Amino acid sequence: MAQFQAYNKLLISAAEGITNVQTGNMTIGYEFYGQYPSYRGTFLSCIESLEIYVDGEKVPENTVYFNVNGKQCLLSQLKDLYLEYWFILDKARYFILKEGGLPQGEHEVTIKMKHRIPYTGYSGSYLVLDGSDTKVLQVK
Amino acid sequence: MRKHDIELCLTLYALSGEYINGRMTLEDCLKKGREMGYTGVELVASQMVPEYPHPSKEWMDDFTALLKKYDMHPVCYSAYIDMGTHSDRDLTEDEIIQSTLDDMMYAKYMGFDLVRTQHAISPKIYKKMLPYAKKIGIVLAIELHAPHTPVIPEWQEYLEIMSNSDGWLGVVPDFSIFAETPHILNKIQAVEDFGCRQEKVDEICERHKAGEAQNVLLADASYTDAEKDFVKDIYATYGPAHLEWVPMLMKNTVYIHSKFWYIGEDEFDYTTPCDKILPLIKESGYKGYIATEYEGHHYNDTTDACEQLTRYAHMLKRLLGNE
Repeated sequence: MAQFQAYNKLLISAAEGITNVQTGNMTIGYEFYGQYPSYRGTFLSCIESLEIYVDGEKVPENTVYFNVNGKQCLLSQLKDLYLEYWFILDKARYFILKEGGLPQGEHEVTIKMKHRIPYTGYSGSYLVLDGSDTKVLQVK
Repeated sequence: MRKHDIELCLTLYALSGEYINGRMTLEDCLKKGREMGYTGVELVASQMVPEYPHPSKEWMDDFTALLKKYDMHPVCYSAYIDMGTHSDRDLTEDEIIQSTLDDMMYAKYMGFDLVRTQHAISPKIYKKMLPYAKKIGIVLAIELHAPHTPVIPEWQEYLEIMSNSDGWLGVVPDFSIFAETPHILNKIQAVEDFGCRQEKVDEICERHKAGEAQNVLLADASYTDAEKDFVKDIYATYGPAHLEWVPMLMKNTVYIHSKFWYIGEDEFDYTTPCDKILPLIKESGYKGYIATEYEGHHYNDTTDACEQLTRYAHMLKRLLGNE
């Protein structure tokens, strides 16, 4: 599918970079932000898979806490969230559990998202796009 | 209507790239649209309504105040049939009716003339919506978009239902059904993003234009896999325009999407034969809006969309005689 690819770069927001998250005396993880990669928003249930890689290594799925609309879910819960709409200008917060966070400096972050376009089922199957974005982010 | 029988409408979707990349706010889009000569507005609710699918009263009041400020008429509230919302099943009939009614109520509140829905609504449900359209007082239209055509059985059925609706149901023809030849962004993408060779892309376009059969090109060993994908893409998307579809559709047409991807300084659309389609629309006696649906942002969201929309407005005004 030649179309719909120009928005992939929205998947990771360069502006916010990466922030290590502290709780008490512990650095419990880190966070960064990103938008939905299309011209319109979507229901979270249309996200078929979401993978995150940091410095070439896949982040374990159960350590990613996905936040949008003031709510949080695990990636495994996305498929059930058909009432939760991700507005196109809203940046989701990706909070990732990792004791110690990430070291200061630059890190290469990749998000790969397979997402169903819910109005495309004309011929019996839905168009599922492979969105992907890689950016080098700075720990702030 | 205002000054002319056919007025220009700006679908805010045309400014997707500007809006999503933060170069323009919703208010900027409306202001700029009016400056470019557009008097009507189409809102793609799923794009610009933060609380979608249920805009708050506050948001709707703010939006209508902006329309008033820039003297823009709310023409079309664009709705979707998001049939594949659930990961394990399609929407049910009750869910489709629910979301369509919601869209009609929000559109009515904001003063829109019509709701644009989609083909997937099904003839059965579409018929059920007619009494609501009449009583609420809002037109419910279906967009006819490629790859569909007015001559497929389902669309014949839709046109029949529309013909018997006293004007409350209608069609929004999208010019994608008349697209003849690939636009320049298509060709650039084939070369830059998909690795096709420029000379082969040009050759494929020439052979397509000359009417050679797709399977002949696909059997040509000089093309790479990426180039064959390009062949499939353009044969599925472009072909000689059936101008006879224009009069066939105009009887039930309530709004028009003049889709385009790129227009150069000469203000001529080389993809779609607008110079032939527009006179036919005018001859039909159509009174209403034509929306310029710029869609180049799907290929390259850094092109100056406002320049594109300004050029296209000039072309439409010239072809319609709206001076």
